[in-house]
Amino acid sequence: MSLSLLLFLGPVVILLLLFVWLLRKSNGQVGAASVGSLEEEFGGSHVTFLRQARQALSKEDYDFVSGKIPREMQRRMRQERKRIALSYLLALRGEFHKLLRTARVIAALSPEITGVQELERLRLTAIFLLRYRILWISLRAGFAPLPQISNLSNLLSGLSVRLEAAMKELGERAAQVTEIVSSDHRRRIHPV
Amino acid sequence: MDLDRWLWAVTFILDAGLIFLLLVRRNHRAFPFFFAYMLLNLIQGVALIAIYRFWGFSSSLAMKVGWGSQGLVTAGRALAVAEICHRILAEFRGIWRLAWRLLVGAITLVALYAGAVSQGKWQFAILNLDRGLELAMATALVFLFLFAVYYEVPVESTLRTLSIGFFLFSSFRVLNDTILERWLRQYATVWSLLGSLAFIVSLALWNWALRQAQPKKTFKPELLPQGSYRELVPEMNERLKKLNEQLSYLWRPEGKNI
Repeated sequence: MSLSLLLFLGPVVILLLLFVWLLRKSNGQVGAASVGSLEEEFGGSHVTFLRQARQALSKEDYDFVSGKIPREMQRRMRQERKRIALSYLLALRGEFHKLLRTARVIAALSPEITGVQELERLRLTAIFLLRYRILWISLRAGFAPLPQISNLSNLLSGLSVRLEAAMKELGERAAQVTEIVSSDHRRRIHPV
Repeated sequence: MDLDRWLWAVTFILDAGLIFLLLVRRNHRAFPFFFAYMLLNLIQGVALIAIYRFWGFSSSLAMKVGWGSQGLVTAGRALAVAEICHRILAEFRGIWRLAWRLLVGAITLVALYAGAVSQGKWQFAILNLDRGLELAMATALVFLFLFAVYYEVPVESTLRTLSIGFFLFSSFRVLNDTILERWLRQYATVWSLLGSLAFIVSLALWNWALRQAQPKKTFKPELLPQGSYRELVPEMNERLKKLNEQLSYLWRPEGKNI
């Protein structure tokens, strides 16, 4: 096989695979980018669950209990804490994705966006996902840096609450616009 | 009648049928560049049939008209692809401004890449240009869907099917041109046959996609007020940055017990 053939065959195969994957991904997102979808996104949050998980994973609790129970119980406790830590990390990723999705939909629905902010978010997402994957593997292997995780959840919960308020306001404004448009539309249908 | 002529006949019928369909369903108003591209294709086909009949397939006139008109047809296809990009993204004004710049950048880079890795012989100049443009069009379509998926922009089924037709045809042409460049003499007949087959598949897809009337304008999304992006997104990015910093702290060795 000649070099020229490889230099063109390679990009075409990559483009073909990407195109098929993108077609499949785009298939189920009819009308996804809308103010309504933003409101739905903020309907339910993992923040309440994260508070309980943080309590279950606190280092003080573990230190207090571990000195008073037999070894077998300690082993079971470690397993349970690992399971909770993994769920906790999974929920954090969920929160992260929620925030990302909101930012993307806001960008899609904005009349003006800046390339710098969009590229920055792309970069941050790539870094987050890489770090998340490494942490996930570390936790599976029995590695759990608990105190820092608790800071993370605080940060997210504060942001979620503020964004929820902002989204609500945007939703209300959009509803007003819809109402104006639809009443105008009604007038056109029934001019009397 | 040999296979080559059968394929020409099928191509002609599908092409003419599509033009008829575009006119009858008034879809030429919704897709003016696509309509122009199909018309150019039909004119090129008719002209080449006449030239082959009177001057022969290997005549210099056939070569000149064949390759010369190909430039026009390829430019028409590029405009039709641009029309699809515009129709999918233009109503999302913010991302469209960003997308078209990135699309132009990506197309330029791909065309430069295609030029750089092509053979330098002059007789392959048109072939190389054609291949570079086809590769750029396939890349543009992938970028378009990348944007649509990332920003959750809905893509109408008609536009999806049209895009699939363009993508298949362009990527197939890149491969076909590359093989032709390598094995020019042995492959010329097969190249022509496979090219016709790929075009027939695309034509069938486009006929299917445009079997019904399409609205002149795509749906209009309900855009947010002007300042929302500036108000919210930089703060979100700042928070995401802090989240990343927090995650990096988790790697510190002091938090090793569970």
